[in-house]
Amino acid sequence: MSTKTSPSKGKDNAEVIKNYHKQAFEYISKALRIDEKDTGEKEEAVQWYKRGISELEKGIAVEINAQGEQYERAKRLQDKMVNNLAMAKDRLVLLETTLASKQKNV
Amino acid sequence: STTTLTTPQNQVESLMHEMADEAGLDLNMELPQGQTGSVGTSVASAEQDELSSRLAKLRDQV
Repeated sequence: MSTKTSPSKGKDNAEVIKNYHKQAFEYISKALRIDEKDTGEKEEAVQWYKRGISELEKGIAVEINAQGEQYERAKRLQDKMVNNLAMAKDRLVLLETTLASKQKNV
Repeated sequence: STTTLTTPQNQVESLMHEMADEAGLDLNMELPQGQTGSVGTSVASAEQDELSSRLAKLRDQV
């Protein structure tokens, strides 16, 4: 266990979180670009939101092993990801509900 | 003749400051010399903020 908990010098996993962020940012940006247009293909936005959400979840699950300032920064980023995860999920639920009711009416 | 396509350092820095201002970060505090890792985290934080505000805008639409 001691080998696992001692953070290896110079290679902390803040980088890992950042990479998940990057991927999530890319996917959710795509979802937003579609979603922000009234005529946007909402089914497509749903797919991108889902991908983004899964990346956010992975990033949030990472246990930060950095120290001090690095830890604080990575933690702040993760907190923002938690916030966006909740918001993206809310949006996803709303879109799916809207899509489902549309299908019923057609 | 060759044209060197490098973005001047000061231009990069001013852009970074712009982004940091928007995100409400003190870049001077966040950027000790040579720590590129922290630059990335600041940018990442700003990007997450962007997502937040766009998601909030959609949420507030009725």
